[in-house]
Amino acid sequence: MFLPEAIIQLIHVSKSYDRRAALSDVTLDIAKGEFVLLMGASGAGKSTLLRLLIGEERPDQGQIFVQGKNVGRLKQAEVPYLRRKIGTVFQDFRLLPNKTVFENVSLPLIVQRASMADIRRKVIEALRAVGVEQKKDQLPNSLSAGERQRVCIARAIVNGPVVLLADEPTGNLDPERTAEIIELFKLINARGTTVVVATHDPHVMTLANRRALTLAQGTVVQGPG
Amino acid sequence: MRWLWYLVREAYANLRTNRMTTIVAIVTTAFMLACVGIFLLSYVNLRNAANWLQEDIKIIVYLDDAVSQEEVQRLRERLRADRLVAALRYISKEEALGEFRAQFPTDFHLLEGLGENPLPASFVVTPAPDFRSPEAVARWAERVGGMAGVAKIDYNQEWIDALAEVIRYLEVTAIAVGAILSAAAVTVIGNTIRLALFARREEVEILRLVGATGAFIRIPYLLEGAVLGGAGSALALGMLKAGFEVFRHHIGSVGRFHGFEELVSFFPLSVSSAFVAVGMGLGVVGSMISLLRVGERRR
Repeated sequence: MFLPEAIIQLIHVSKSYDRRAALSDVTLDIAKGEFVLLMGASGAGKSTLLRLLIGEERPDQGQIFVQGKNVGRLKQAEVPYLRRKIGTVFQDFRLLPNKTVFENVSLPLIVQRASMADIRRKVIEALRAVGVEQKKDQLPNSLSAGERQRVCIARAIVNGPVVLLADEPTGNLDPERTAEIIELFKLINARGTTVVVATHDPHVMTLANRRALTLAQGTVVQGPG
Repeated sequence: MRWLWYLVREAYANLRTNRMTTIVAIVTTAFMLACVGIFLLSYVNLRNAANWLQEDIKIIVYLDDAVSQEEVQRLRERLRADRLVAALRYISKEEALGEFRAQFPTDFHLLEGLGENPLPASFVVTPAPDFRSPEAVARWAERVGGMAGVAKIDYNQEWIDALAEVIRYLEVTAIAVGAILSAAAVTVIGNTIRLALFARREEVEILRLVGATGAFIRIPYLLEGAVLGGAGSALALGMLKAGFEVFRHHIGSVGRFHGFEELVSFFPLSVSSAFVAVGMGLGVVGSMISLLRVGERRR
């Protein structure tokens, strides 16, 4: 049953690839404004779960709700509008190397046909929030890994999303930068955005000190909502 | 308006990323469309020629040698009253001989050996504009051929029919060649777009993740296809025009075809514009096929 206070809810969700179960009968819910860690080793099903949340994959069974919308039943044309409410951060940053930091961060606004003035204001705000405003005219390759991840986070929050999903966001960072990025997520969460961080790193759990859901072989083994 | 600027800039970036492929695609498309254009140009000019001939058609009603002046007068009145007849000229046996002498002065002695004037009297009929179709002329000839005093009816319809036949063949060939080469142009442009999509797959992926709609992702590639097709057809048109001018100049300098250069003409502006528009359309179709094959499947 859909819980109105939950911003993310999975009800008996299963997903397989070539008959190999990536997620089996997963039920969980995440409340609005919550910061949740999705823990688990490689292949536990963390990335599959995140892909299901942004409508990149459809569940074989079960239902997924994001802000009251049944993601599994969305029409293909509705998926982009769901993604505009969700910011996504990746381990490998996924920044366009031939575009400046400013241009990379402005992409979510451009696809929504925002005005020039809005783009300028929101991008500068987002870059300031993650602390790389002075790098706005540089190309991603001239930045350090930590800075690139900050740019990636700026792109994810520039729209003011209701949910921020991060898939192994500290996988390419040293412990010092990892701590900085987790602090940044906490700050974003404190402003009201629901944050879900998928990681295999126990150090991140210690740093974040928030509710953790552990996945193993496609099932939630610890701490379901 | 930044999104619009972004789309145009992306299309331009696509063209620049695969510069060599872009150039090859434009030139290949140009050659293929130029081949189609040659058929089209021949077709247009032959059709014009057929129209001129049809406009210029004259029907000659030859009279029996034994026909009396009264019968000639009666025939003249009947023909004048006919709504097919726009103009009528009577040529007596003597006038016919005089015209023959004027036209073939060196061969005139051939007729002298026959003693009596062998050339018949005739009426030269110019059909009214509404009755110049081959069917109308043939029906009229059959009707008038049965009138008393009429020996034979002659008109240059056979010539026109033969030309119409050539035009029909050319039409069919132009359609077949056009279809085959258009499909080839679509394939070439489609492959260029596919390469562009492959080179920019990461960007497409990111755009999808940040909430770009399918249309937003497709537009730069459709624009790129339109530019490739449009540039290819414009180049083809340039090549055709250059070739046409060389042909016209050359044909004008050959004595027996002197004056012919005034009769042939290049595509009017409307056809030239349509030619470029069709090229752009082919480019867009090529892009759409590639997007359906590659991009949209992964969505």
